[in-house]
Amino acid sequence: MALEIHLATSRVQKDLVSNEDPKHIVTPGEVITADSGFMRGHGTYMEDDKLYASVAGCVERVNKLICVKPVKSRYNGEVGDVVIGRILQVGQRRWKVDIHSRQDAILMLSAVNLPGGELRRRSEEDERMMRDYLAEGDIISAEVQAIFSDGALSLHTRSLKYGKLSQGTLVHVAPSLVKRRKTHFHNLPCGASIILGNNGYVWICPTVNEDTDHTGGFIENTEPVSLADREVVARLHNCVIALAQHRMMLYDTSILYTFEASLKYQVSSA
Amino acid sequence: MAGMELLSDEGFRIDGRRPNELRRIQCRMGVFAQADGSAYIEHGNTKVLAAVYGPHDIQGSKGRAAVHDIAFINCQYSMATFSTGERKQRPRGDRKSQEMTHHLKQTFDGAILTHLYPHSQIDIYVEVLQSDGGNYCASVNAATLALIDAGIPMKDYVCACSASFIDETPLMDINYTEESSATPQLIVSILPKSEHLVFVEMNSRLHEDQLSRVLDIAVKGCSDIYHILDRAVKEHLMEASIPLSSDT
Amino acid sequence: MGVNFQRLDGRGTYDYRKITITFGIDRGCCHVQIGDTRVMAQVSCEVTTPKQTRPNEGLLYVNAELSPMAAPHFEAGRPSQQGVELGRCLERCLKESRCIDTESLCIMSGMKVWAIRVDVHVLNHDGNLIDACSMAAITALTHFRRPDVTVSGEEVTILSVEDQDPIALGVHHMPICVSFAFFHQGKYLLVDPNEMEERVMDGKMVIGMNKHRELVTLQLTGSMLLHKDQVLRCTQIASTKVQEMTKLIEEALKNDVHERATGGQFGSASSQDPSHVTSHVTTEKTMEEVDTEALRELARETVLKGRETDRESPGMTRAPDITLLGKQTGRIGEGGLSSWDVEDIEESEEDDVEMIADTNVKVVRETSHISKCLGIDSSEDSEEDVTETLAAHHLGVHESSRGASGDTTIDLTTALNQQKRPAPGRERGKVKR
Repeated sequence: MALEIHLATSRVQKDLVSNEDPKHIVTPGEVITADSGFMRGHGTYMEDDKLYASVAGCVERVNKLICVKPVKSRYNGEVGDVVIGRILQVGQRRWKVDIHSRQDAILMLSAVNLPGGELRRRSEEDERMMRDYLAEGDIISAEVQAIFSDGALSLHTRSLKYGKLSQGTLVHVAPSLVKRRKTHFHNLPCGASIILGNNGYVWICPTVNEDTDHTGGFIENTEPVSLADREVVARLHNCVIALAQHRMMLYDTSILYTFEASLKYQVSSA
Repeated sequence: MAGMELLSDEGFRIDGRRPNELRRIQCRMGVFAQADGSAYIEHGNTKVLAAVYGPHDIQGSKGRAAVHDIAFINCQYSMATFSTGERKQRPRGDRKSQEMTHHLKQTFDGAILTHLYPHSQIDIYVEVLQSDGGNYCASVNAATLALIDAGIPMKDYVCACSASFIDETPLMDINYTEESSATPQLIVSILPKSEHLVFVEMNSRLHEDQLSRVLDIAVKGCSDIYHILDRAVKEHLMEASIPLSSDT
Repeated sequence: MGVNFQRLDGRGTYDYRKITITFGIDRGCCHVQIGDTRVMAQVSCEVTTPKQTRPNEGLLYVNAELSPMAAPHFEAGRPSQQGVELGRCLERCLKESRCIDTESLCIMSGMKVWAIRVDVHVLNHDGNLIDACSMAAITALTHFRRPDVTVSGEEVTILSVEDQDPIALGVHHMPICVSFAFFHQGKYLLVDPNEMEERVMDGKMVIGMNKHRELVTLQLTGSMLLHKDQVLRCTQIASTKVQEMTKLIEEALKNDVHERATGGQFGSASSQDPSHVTSHVTTEKTMEEVDTEALRELARETVLKGRETDRESPGMTRAPDITLLGKQTGRIGEGGLSSWDVEDIEESEEDDVEMIADTNVKVVRETSHISKCLGIDSSEDSEEDVTETLAAHHLGVHESSRGASGDTTIDLTTALNQQKRPAPGRERGKVKR
């Protein structure tokens, strides 16, 4: 009955392991410090005046605050983050949005720009029309507006740059790989736009004309996309996956460099 | 089975181990892309896969009964139909699997810092691919690795090990042959740093006076397993975080 | 739990509630009552083909049923989480400990064996189902008699009970489960948690043991963390409790055998005795009132005295942290006095019990259940005890007219009171009469 099949092998990617001094790595239950002068941050817990790690990762210290950042985890939202999400449910004056967080985020009807753009009261008609604006399965870009006491996030799309996303591809990466920058919307010179959501969802789409897009964000553009654009999007998609695989940070320059480096490989049917 | 001695005169066990030796443990973290955390572990010939999803919003009917100020832990233990010598009819849902599911849930309820995730649910799926004794132990160890991989905060690792008592000798980490021959069987889960017991189960007859010795060797087994797991986790972290650190 | 470690129902931390064991008219039917928890076990048998892997062994099935009758939150149909846990625990306790000689159940190797089935029904749920179920199951198995068979060639004849005396099962040992509830991460520990205590406990440990101090099952569940010595301490307590419970079961079985042999009244019908059922509102009001008052006074005294001895006794430290406690173990019965020099006192106590039991068998033939008070002497409890004693006495007077009706009442509280303090003369006198 006993078969000698072993799936687990230790494959260390040697080329990536550099010899430079690694950060302070801890595993759950490990004592970070017995000094009571420090403050307890994320990924740690206090017991008997000692600070223990509760997750496996690198210790980060900001003044007196000690955090442990896990290599991989669900998205922990912060106010002002740009996120990409998928509508899960249409509810009473709100949408539930999956943003790879520990709870579904909430997008209130009052936190969206309605078509037409003008500021007006949300009527009952709007409530009835909610599914016409955003239906289950739609993908949106939004910003984190607030964090509820239980950790759930509230989103808003009250800016022309946010709203429904129509044609493009979505890539999931670990949220920790998205570098926090001033802007997460990039129109890359290669002819595609990329939105790097802080929640680890990356949206890649062909660049469209500034004038026609961003009109409130509920009109879906379903015009056919040219083959050249598709190829660029697909190549970017693979670049993001490749970077994530090697745990490189994602931001416009790193993606662009990868894109350029990949140009020497052509699309092949095999 | 008759006439087979589980412990030879020279003090070796049926698979050639000494009484206080573990089987070979190999493990690997992050085996699935889709799951938030996943791990694969082998205890000798017992092979187990674990996947963790979450924390995420409470889903399904089970979660409705959950207390809302802490995370709800949902476990599923299943044994592949080909995992045992005789083909299994039902991979899950039979009494023993249900019990195992319940035990896994209780084990991790005590170790995960559930109060950090109100209104959330954490799913732990465990699949036994090959069963050669110590299924619970391998499942717990695999699930621990998967939870660490998913970045879910825990008090400590949870390590599980079994033990038995044959010919006045306590045995560590028993295999299927040793398990199935009417010997006492003790299963222990501990938090290795504090040596707190999270879960204890014992079957078959064992005299009260021997319990302490058997408990000791099981706890020793758990802490041995902890060192193996910890090394694997650290290696995994190095692999994952060094490129990251050079970049930030 | 206050500072004086009294539980809501007045028990001490290591006290069991009152345990009652009754038998049905049929063999293999047992009814166990721990406080308000009531459980019934029924054993049945049939002839089946054995498992291919074990052709020479009979089969033992254990099934636990939690019907909505017991508690409203139990659902009929598919077993709940609790039902599965209970069933598996009993299975481990009875089946995997091999307490029944399954080889003697073989009729024809590989062809026909007896399949013994234990159905445990929970009638009323007031906590600690596992202890009650395991007691009921093992008592029922010991009580059960299967019909005899004759084999001639391929022919198997099951002899009717009239033709041939039925045969008892080979019971190697009697495993009994003892439950512990933990609170505050294992800081506090209770024996025999009732339903209210079970609801708020952090975790639970079930220890299955037989009187030879062999552990057959041990299970620690719940979201709390314990140390090794806490587990070992629980096994020590469990071994004392199991000794006592085994004694109780043996006593009950012996009495049942005696009643059946002498043609006395036995079975569940006789347990529904009018004088017992209505004992809380007996007609002899004046007499009862007087006596309860006195007894209440008496109980209070005992409790106070017990507390004093608590404070005085050096061997006993009722510290909140159970790890601090000495190596001694607790014992059943008599919550007020918790001296910890267990061994010797206990033995003498048991002797006493037997002695009194004997006198009672002779004198009191009334209710057929064996009631053994393992609770505490809270005023309520003693009240109940008094009524019983009175009823017994009352009927004892009319004994001649009643004839020898099958009944035995063992009143442990009385026994204990008597042993602990100079005999409360009045009461004793009545019993002896």
